[in-house]
Amino acid sequence: MNCSDCKEKLDRYLDRELSNTEMLELQLHLEGCPPCTDNYEFQASLKRLVKVCCEQDKAPDALREKLRQILT
Amino acid sequence: MAESPPQTAFAEEALTHLDTLYRGALRLTRDPDSAQDLVQEAYLRALRYQHSYQPGTNMKAWLFAIMRNLFWDRFKGSRKEDVSLDDVGEFVLYDKLRDEGAKPEADVLDKLAASEVVAAVEKLPPLHREVVLLGDVEGFSYRDAAQTLGVPIRTAMSRLHRARQQLQKSLYDYALESGIVRANGTKEVPNE
Repeated sequence: MNCSDCKEKLDRYLDRELSNTEMLELQLHLEGCPPCTDNYEFQASLKRLVKVCCEQDKAPDALREKLRQILT
Repeated sequence: MAESPPQTAFAEEALTHLDTLYRGALRLTRDPDSAQDLVQEAYLRALRYQHSYQPGTNMKAWLFAIMRNLFWDRFKGSRKEDVSLDDVGEFVLYDKLRDEGAKPEADVLDKLAASEVVAAVEKLPPLHREVVLLGDVEGFSYRDAAQTLGVPIRTAMSRLHRARQQLQKSLYDYALESGIVRANGTKEVPNE
């Protein structure tokens, strides 16, 4: 695998959507390629950032209680 | 055919996904009151059609599909308009920061305000926003995201890829405007 292949498959690696073989190939490439490892770590951090920022909102307690009464 | 689960058990399980549905509704409607109305309507519809839910399958995805279908019905008149994203090309924030000498690139992420990250998500057209919510926020697999959205897996993957590019462009623009980075390199911004 070269850097171009790695870049092309990075999204699916981050999303855990590669086959086992592809995943191992990509991991091997990352182990020997600091620039691709930096890129991977950046993309992983960005994905975590989006998740953490968007997960801060919780359903209001009043809505939860209202739904509980309606549904049960 | 499997029997329908008791309503109470169904409701209890459904309510464990309330935060996910509310967050999704909030991001889609961008209004807390509308989000609550949408979520309530989604749960009522889920209760009405609980016989169509297969126990043991992904209830979160099932509920999210009901909610987002209602969103498109109520707020968009079922027209999933093909709102095109800005043509940002293959915009990769990491490459952009590296080219401009912003080292280490990850430090820039630490300086982005959470509200700006959420704003960047909310700026995406709804068809792209929802796939980011499913893939990046709720951790859906491509298959579950595609089923929830009623599209082929390749379409979900393509939308997610394009949405991420647009998201990264929006964050880069914000970083430039707020002085976190300069076009020719990083600018020192003290951490809070």
